[in-house]
Amino acid sequence: MTSKLLSPWLTIRVQFVLAALFVVAGAAKIADPPGFAHEIHNYRLVPGEAVNALALVLPWLEVVTGLALFLGLARRAAATIQGVLLVVFIGALSINLARRHPVDCGCFGASNVARTEAQRLRDMKLAIARDVGMLLLVGQLLAVTSRDRTG
Amino acid sequence: MNGARVSRQIIGFVVLAFVCAVVSNALAGPERKLRWIGRYEERTREPAPASAPHATPGVQAAAPGVAAGPKTFPPHPDKPWVEVSGDDVAALYAAGRVLFLDARRTGVYRDGHIAGARSLAVWESDVDDKVKALFGEGLDQSAPLVVYCSGGDCEDSHMLAQKLYFVGFDNVLVYKDGFPDWQKRGLPVHTGDRP
Repeated sequence: MTSKLLSPWLTIRVQFVLAALFVVAGAAKIADPPGFAHEIHNYRLVPGEAVNALALVLPWLEVVTGLALFLGLARRAAATIQGVLLVVFIGALSINLARRHPVDCGCFGASNVARTEAQRLRDMKLAIARDVGMLLLVGQLLAVTSRDRTG
Repeated sequence: MNGARVSRQIIGFVVLAFVCAVVSNALAGPERKLRWIGRYEERTREPAPASAPHATPGVQAAAPGVAAGPKTFPPHPDKPWVEVSGDDVAALYAAGRVLFLDARRTGVYRDGHIAGARSLAVWESDVDDKVKALFGEGLDQSAPLVVYCSGGDCEDSHMLAQKLYFVGFDNVLVYKDGFPDWQKRGLPVHTGDRP
């Protein structure tokens, strides 16, 4: 079972799925930094002074790590960064869900669609589930790269 | 050994992302550019009730969506803003000579805004320059100034109101229900870049 989970066949697919998701998510945010800054601000977790810097750098971090996985370069480092980002995203969504503060995820850029509070809260749960799934993929990649030591 | 290499690679990714962000932001147009240090004030006060409590006592309120009588909006120098209802805003609009400011993104403004309203997109990098330019026009700082965004839980208008208050405008009225309410009332709307 473990050998199947860590097989090169699965690993290459995991790598490409993560690469695609992170590049697409990052590119959407890069296309509209003020919109993403707005979404970050809505989370009410980041000091106002840090919102813009985060909105500018974080999407590029997603894109460069996604491209690295696509090219098979520095896979362990890229997966580690993506894992940390996912944990932060899950934490931020969970905190707001716990305090019943509905936010637009902003995961794939700013949303222009007006939604009710209930719809937002439901979407937040779905976003957490998706991020947990992606975190499992990152875990697979980290397990493989810790074994083969090739990074 | 491997751990040190991975750590160096992680730092490399962070530096690369930072450099890309600097270049990308430097090349971005005004609608996409961000200042590196944000200045987003939280709501520091509880908003006043929606029906303009600062209005002169005993004065009739406007009928819904209709130009109204002589309801007045005196300055409120100790508050960054006062929230007002759609009825009050419709009355102010009908009375004329009140400046409307749209706090939403420029692209959204272009798709439709209150006829005559100027765009001061609070999430865009040039908002502070626009606020200063507005102040520089020598407008009466005690005259009512209506700011709005998309209604609901949108706080862009409150953020813009705070910026206006900081430069010296002391009669900023926040149109609480915003543009959706305006459209619902069938009041004049313009599209495009011009007010």
